[in-house]
Amino acid sequence: MKEKIDAIQAEALARLATADDTRALEDARVAILGKKGSLTEISAGMRDVPKEQKAEIGQLLNTARNAITAAIESKQAELQAAADAKALAGIDLTLPARALSHGSLHPLTLIRHQAIEVLRRMGFALADGPEIEDEFHCFDALNTPADHPARNEKDTFYFDSGKLLRTHTSSVQIRTMEAQAPPVRIIAPGSAYRRDEIDATHLSVFNQLEGLYVDRDVSLGDLKGTLEYFFREMFGSETEVRFRPHFFPFTEPSFEIDVKLHAKGQAPKWIEVAGCGMVDPAVFAAIDAKRSDSSFSPDQVTGFAFGMGLDRLAMIRWGIKDIRLLIENDIRFLKQFA
Amino acid sequence: MNVSLNWLATHVDLKGKSPDELDKLLTFAGVEVEGIEIKGVRSDKIVVAQIMEAVQHPNADKLKVTQVDAGEGQLRQIVCGARNYKVGDKVPCCLPGADLGGFVIGETKMRGVESRGMLAAASEIGLTDAEDGLMILPADAEIGKPVRELFESDILLEVEVTPNRPDLLSHYGMAREMATLLEVPLHPLNITALETRASSDAIRIDSPEACPFYTLTRIRGVKVSESPAWLKARLESIGLRPINNVVDVTNFVLHELGHPLHAFDAAKVHSPIIVRQAADGESFIALDGATYPLTSDDCLISDSSGAALALGGIMGGAESGVTEATTDILLEAAYFTPSRIRRSSRRLALSSDSSYRFERGANPEGALPAAALAIRLILEIAGGNVEGDTLTAGNPPQLTGPVALDLAKLDQLTGASISHQEAATILERLGLTATADGLWQVPAFRADLQRHIDLVEEIVRVKGLDAVPSRFQGTFVPSSAVDHDYDADMRLRHRLAGLGFHECQTIKLIADAQLIDALPLKPLQPGDSIRVALPLSEDHAVLRPSLVPGLIASAERNLRQQASSIRLFEMGRFFRNAGGGKAKDLEAESLALLISGNRQPESWTQKPAKADLFDLKSIIQALIPGVPLQLVPKEKANFALGADIHAGGQNIGSFAMVSPARQREIDSPAPLFVAELELAKLRKLAAVSTDIADLPQFPGSSRDVTFDAPAALANAEIEKAFGKLQQPLLVSFECVDLFTDPSGEKLAADRKAITYRLHYRAADRTLTANEVDTAHQQALAFITQQLGIGCR
Repeated sequence: MKEKIDAIQAEALARLATADDTRALEDARVAILGKKGSLTEISAGMRDVPKEQKAEIGQLLNTARNAITAAIESKQAELQAAADAKALAGIDLTLPARALSHGSLHPLTLIRHQAIEVLRRMGFALADGPEIEDEFHCFDALNTPADHPARNEKDTFYFDSGKLLRTHTSSVQIRTMEAQAPPVRIIAPGSAYRRDEIDATHLSVFNQLEGLYVDRDVSLGDLKGTLEYFFREMFGSETEVRFRPHFFPFTEPSFEIDVKLHAKGQAPKWIEVAGCGMVDPAVFAAIDAKRSDSSFSPDQVTGFAFGMGLDRLAMIRWGIKDIRLLIENDIRFLKQFA
Repeated sequence: MNVSLNWLATHVDLKGKSPDELDKLLTFAGVEVEGIEIKGVRSDKIVVAQIMEAVQHPNADKLKVTQVDAGEGQLRQIVCGARNYKVGDKVPCCLPGADLGGFVIGETKMRGVESRGMLAAASEIGLTDAEDGLMILPADAEIGKPVRELFESDILLEVEVTPNRPDLLSHYGMAREMATLLEVPLHPLNITALETRASSDAIRIDSPEACPFYTLTRIRGVKVSESPAWLKARLESIGLRPINNVVDVTNFVLHELGHPLHAFDAAKVHSPIIVRQAADGESFIALDGATYPLTSDDCLISDSSGAALALGGIMGGAESGVTEATTDILLEAAYFTPSRIRRSSRRLALSSDSSYRFERGANPEGALPAAALAIRLILEIAGGNVEGDTLTAGNPPQLTGPVALDLAKLDQLTGASISHQEAATILERLGLTATADGLWQVPAFRADLQRHIDLVEEIVRVKGLDAVPSRFQGTFVPSSAVDHDYDADMRLRHRLAGLGFHECQTIKLIADAQLIDALPLKPLQPGDSIRVALPLSEDHAVLRPSLVPGLIASAERNLRQQASSIRLFEMGRFFRNAGGGKAKDLEAESLALLISGNRQPESWTQKPAKADLFDLKSIIQALIPGVPLQLVPKEKANFALGADIHAGGQNIGSFAMVSPARQREIDSPAPLFVAELELAKLRKLAAVSTDIADLPQFPGSSRDVTFDAPAALANAEIEKAFGKLQQPLLVSFECVDLFTDPSGEKLAADRKAITYRLHYRAADRTLTANEVDTAHQQALAFITQQLGIGCR
């Protein structure tokens, strides 16, 4: 009996060792452990084993069964591993990716969003107003004299109704202050229109971002601090910012803001990026007259305003040489912003 | 405006100031320096040298080896290629180290022969070439002397003066500003006051609002001829062309003092001078030879003959000007009202150095000093005698007065960073004087200073904003409705980019011809589109009533670049009237979408498939997940397959295919599908619901059914029937297959087999197969009965 068990085990292990596919393995398992399998049959012989040998033979049988089962499992794992490896063999990882169309946001949206995010961190809320404006909101209330060149029909789009397309987003300052008493802390991105022939540096419809802060004790220091912080966030913390005195009808004092641009391969140069100033008391007077109150009395409040061209910021940011690229929507251009 | 530094130096000492320093000085004073041009010889190392010897170069036919005397005690050997000189000539010699504008001369060998410097042509050292080759200097030029000293050099600044500072529009005015900023003295003007006499006989002002002050001085016996060299040089230094001595003097005075003058040929004037408004329809022939039709808004200088002698403050007439034949002149010095000059100049598209200054605001008190200087110069240069007094009419308007400086407000605005003493000093330097009652008297040339804030502006400008410390603080404000809309729009933008769309920006002014591409939310009637009165071109004449025309134009541009897969969107405002123009100037925001061509970019693993309307429909659905979307067929003018887009129980936009005819026009190989959605509605539908459902506790079962239906029966009709079905266990259904056979072989051509999957579930238990079957049978019986169709 003992010899038989040893022989069956040896034969079984040998057969398993040579099984080289799952079919052969399964056949072997049936031949050894199946109902009529060799080990099953000899196990049936236990009945005839003398009592005193039963324990010993039983143990031998168990050992043999365990060894065979282990061999089957190990062979199974080996065959599975081989099959898995075969299934993955020859896959060329270096083939190009399956094409997926990925879209993009327009560069103007990207620069506008960055500006808005920075200014929101500083506590500005968004505001807007109509693009078809009237002379009051676009000019009169902004202290622009009746015969100011900007009001000329050669420079501004008018309608037969006498209304016009706003020449700057500054009209939103007026709209906001009409509706809201101080404190006012708003930004207004939007389109503006001028009768400029479209060329590499001009669009007749362009995009601005306006800002206004009116409260008690708003000072030149606030104007400076706010815009220095803003442009350093936009162009990098080391950015040099300078304020050049300038003239705008609706602010006094007024400044133009330059940042020092360090473009690769070029000498650093100052680039004009925005206009700003302290809100002119004449603007507050116009608002109070319209509101019929004294919410914006210059004795009570002061404020600063600023405005910048977003198309221009986008051109500076990405070194775009022709502004028309921003309205032509060539996918080859847009893709670069994906 | 061009400013000559040599000219400025006659009024203020600028020695030792580099062009860069002056640039910075002016920039921070609010005067933009747009260009700096250095005229003349730059380097002191360019000296007068005499050519003592010139022999043929041993190794080069075209070169000579010269020995020159540059005043160094020994001769200097220089190789030279020019041929226009002879031994003994004096020429400019650039010594080693001479900087010729970025190019520095050194000692070198030329073809093996030592050359220690360079003999130069005029253009090489910043002068004008008179001949080809070396510049031949006068024989009496002193050897070794810097050539710079033989020729006046100058620096020309091109500046942009802001409209509030007309006082800077002259060399004296600019010098006055620089003297203030540099804290150096301004040289006094040597002008003797004129004897004046009011004379209503000689001058009649009929339009005092346009010209409140007018003066005339008669000079007899002048000899009109070429101006002397100094005067011509002055005018040429700022780019003006000399004409004759009298006209040149008036031009000089304009650029010297900023006050325009005009000289008439007295023989052409029939006294008295009459300053009047033009008659409507009257015409004027100006100096430039052109004829200008006038209106009563224009101010004419006329005389008793009624002739139009000059357009006041803008330009003289062709007939009355000073010519070589003139012997007696009448010199006009006057003050014209800025707004009137501006209106006339603009309407007539006629501007001059004179109108430029008057429209910005000349100094009314500057008229007589300007006349005095001009008279002195004319007498000096052209001879003649002044006849009698200067005759005047009207009075110079008083435009400036005392202004209060509120020191508390100054401190508030500057954070008290500028001391009161310093503020006072700055105002004094600017020519203001403290009055006894604590106010500041503003000089006549600074009419821009009218209010407290104007004085603050000057103090800050002169002191510089650098002196004011930055402050970082601000009030907290709540977010606005615009903020919420903006955030919703950004979410939509990001989602669309994720869906493969490129965001576009198109011009909001479009052509009339593009209106056929408009896909408005509500049909456009005549009178509903908004046209600007004076378009720049017909391409940009109408405010877009829809964003689709811009996208179609963008698609067209990309098709020309062989783009095979186009997915574009734009968000923004559209503009229209409604009701045939009854409701005016409506502005709202929409989202426009366009797809055409390959659904996905072609690659080795995907065969290209063309996007169809269901792609666009799915994209719109992806913007409002969970909100059932329906396309309700509706004719859209100029488009095919038009539909209204219904979602959330409302019409949120328009959907269409570009008509095949238009597609051929655009030359697109694939159909184009477009949609325009009202953003106000879309933002609400796209917002994530706050109403979150619990997950079901028990599994559900599904059953498929295929209906045998007429091909013309719309899915919407079947869905509608499902909508009427009362079967509590049915939780949802979806269309999973559609089969048609136009050949009629497998299915009659006018029939379709459309398959739906119906999902059944109960909230409180697992359904038995029996329950599901019963519910399913009830559902099918209802649908087939409702629609009169069968099941397969």
